[in-house]
Amino acid sequence: MDYVIKLDNVSVSYLKNRSGVHSVKDFILKASFISPFQKNRVLHNVDLVIQKGDSLGILGPNGSGKSTLLRTIAGIIKPEMGSLEVKVPISPLLTLGAGIELELSGYENMRIALALSGNYHKSTRVEMIEKVTDFAELTKEQLKMPAKMYSTGMLARLAFSSVMTSQPELLMIDEVLAVGDKGFQKKCMNRIHEIIEKGATLLFISHSPNEVKEICKRGICLKDGKKIFDGSSENAANVYNGLF
Amino acid sequence: MRSKRKYIILFLIYKNLQLKYKHSALGFLWSLLHPFLYLLIFLAIFSAAFPSIENYPLYVLSGLVFWIYFAGATTQLSLVFIKNTHLIKALNIPKTIYAITDLGSELVSFLLGLIPFLVIMYFMGLHISFNLLYLIPVIILFSVFIFSVGLILGSLNVFFRDVGILWNTINPALFYLSPIAYSFKIVPEQFKFIVKYNPLFHFLELVRNVLYEGQGLSMHYLGRCLLITSVTAILAILIYRKTRNGFISNL
Repeated sequence: MDYVIKLDNVSVSYLKNRSGVHSVKDFILKASFISPFQKNRVLHNVDLVIQKGDSLGILGPNGSGKSTLLRTIAGIIKPEMGSLEVKVPISPLLTLGAGIELELSGYENMRIALALSGNYHKSTRVEMIEKVTDFAELTKEQLKMPAKMYSTGMLARLAFSSVMTSQPELLMIDEVLAVGDKGFQKKCMNRIHEIIEKGATLLFISHSPNEVKEICKRGICLKDGKKIFDGSSENAANVYNGLF
Repeated sequence: MRSKRKYIILFLIYKNLQLKYKHSALGFLWSLLHPFLYLLIFLAIFSAAFPSIENYPLYVLSGLVFWIYFAGATTQLSLVFIKNTHLIKALNIPKTIYAITDLGSELVSFLLGLIPFLVIMYFMGLHISFNLLYLIPVIILFSVFIFSVGLILGSLNVFFRDVGILWNTINPALFYLSPIAYSFKIVPEQFKFIVKYNPLFHFLELVRNVLYEGQGLSMHYLGRCLLITSVTAILAILIYRKTRNGFISNL
């Protein structure tokens, strides 16, 4: 089958302030005039081919480069070395708090989220907002309140629902399902299955090997920026559990 | 793709404007009250001090309106990447879009505020003629200049948070170094160079060509402003390109 994403020997580095230089004062005092920035490699020579319709779980300890990998694929970070090919349109990464403006109401946030994910069209606007409202299970009164009055779980509902009701070709989720309550988690899981069944490709970061086993067929495990395992999600979960 | 970008830009401008005035009782009126209060202070204090300036109220107001646009927009832009951290980390759109939308919303407030102020200026003796249309290229050029300054501040502010604080400190100083409440002519000869090296001076002169003197643009100042804007813009592009890949890890 044809691949949709291909990473060939990709390495990613971050530009980091040289240790301890966080203000101009430090900069002058420490007299590090060479360069205030330092490179810090987070991903080392990663090869990865993802086929259309794949569901890939990404496991690994904190700081192992999972989010960086996703952001690289999404084109948010440029690889320092190696080549990256992505053949599908990219929808926004599903992370916590992205695009939620606490001062604005739930409805206003919904409209912005839809616009940012490219799903906002004048003709389908009302229908889309209704769909999102249904999925989020938030009441009209709640949606009229500013988002700063929401609980964390309600924020999560607001944030996911606009993506969850669309049918992206590539769905990228970064450790977010843990926030909602059991019912909402279940609903998201079902919807994710549905999205995959319709032919989407899924990249799923999680700290729960069980979730990965449930949703994904394939799994990889990262450690210190290197890919240490690539295979079935069952085995990836075992490798991950073996790390601790 | 293009129309999608357009939507995003329009939405973010709308969002900025909404956020700015959402929880204030007077809302948009603030953008009018702010220069007006300044104007009253200047009239009360300085008009006696500078009797040599003809039609002092018009002189002050014409400079003031543009100064407030500059100060407000650059301050806003210095925070642009820090404010949009979450979006930058989740969305694959050029980061300059956030800066463009910030400038866009400031420009909208500025233009909306300009209308009542032009009316006030008319009563102060502003000569209404087609020469006023020269304001359009001036505003465009000024906006590009503001955008460049803001992009430099915004990019550096990601790495050194004191850039923003520093700018808040420099801003009032810059105000008094610019001939807004006083005239360039009364500056003692040995200090004139300080004002001349202030880029804002040249823009203010250009604005006053139109709003105060009621004439066309002076080629001398237009040339200077074009030069200043080009140099700042090139510098901004260089700094932005150099730093943009480090934004994510430093936000």
